[in-house]
Amino acid sequence: MNEEQQLRLQAFLDGELPEREARAVAAWVESDPAAADLLVELKAIRQALAGSEPAVSLPESREFFWSRIARDIEAGERRETAAGPAGFRWQHLLWPIGATALCVAVVLLQNPFATTERPVASIAPDADTPIVEAMQPGSDATTYRNESDGTTLVWFSMTDNSRTKPATATF
Amino acid sequence: MRILLFPRTKSVCALLALLFSIAVTAHAAQGDLKLEAQLVVGSNDDKPAPGLKPVAKEIEKKLKHLPLKWQHYYVEAGKKFNVGNNGTKNIALSKSCQISVKNLGDARVELTLASDDKTVGRVTQSLRKGQTLVAGAGDESRIVVLMQQD
Repeated sequence: MNEEQQLRLQAFLDGELPEREARAVAAWVESDPAAADLLVELKAIRQALAGSEPAVSLPESREFFWSRIARDIEAGERRETAAGPAGFRWQHLLWPIGATALCVAVVLLQNPFATTERPVASIAPDADTPIVEAMQPGSDATTYRNESDGTTLVWFSMTDNSRTKPATATF
Repeated sequence: MRILLFPRTKSVCALLALLFSIAVTAHAAQGDLKLEAQLVVGSNDDKPAPGLKPVAKEIEKKLKHLPLKWQHYYVEAGKKFNVGNNGTKNIALSKSCQISVKNLGDARVELTLASDDKTVGRVTQSLRKGQTLVAGAGDESRIVVLMQQD
């Protein structure tokens, strides 16, 4: 007798087989002595176990016991909802917020539009054109520019009107 | 999963912090001008005065292209300095020659020339790399050469 046949016999004993199959098994037991012996043995084991099984009684009624478990589960769900997602900590946001702040600072520092004040551009439309001021009374300035060399020469005349001869700058 | 992500987040933040510090440093150095000022003596003598060295070939070439009357140029004094954006540097090239250089930003400078503490004149213009500003006054043979450092 193979294992499948043994399991089928156990199912027959437990009343788990459909009626048609149960009739087939009953006919098989009547014709097969080995099957009949196993069925007797299984019946004896079941009776022995049924007699020695301790009776377990709950301190409260079955309905109350399960309702208490249900209440505990609901209370746990409410706590999780109040605490937010699992494992959420405000400290975890510190790094992303800090990184974002740094990025914003970098962008602001590198933003060319942040420095809108451009005094140079307002002084002269052509940056290479020198603006010369002679600061001494009666003095003048001569400018020469060599575009190919990128060189500008500025020479300040030092004529002092109070004297009869030109004054000199003593470098 | 969280254990794996957290160090990665830290690494990204550390990288961002590094980039931030680089950006700040670059931003601070962006407007700085590294300049060199020389007090140059013009002469028609082949031999320089004792203690004077000829100007660099590149400067000499530039000076010879200018409508000046001298054939040779010698360095009497020189100074290298940095001027921050909107900053001003006062430099005495000799006892009687002082200059003041203001960094106006965008590689523009304002050079103020003074002789014996009297302001002679002021020049404002761009001074990008390769550009040279030469200033002189009166009938002196000394000129001030201002340029960006190499």
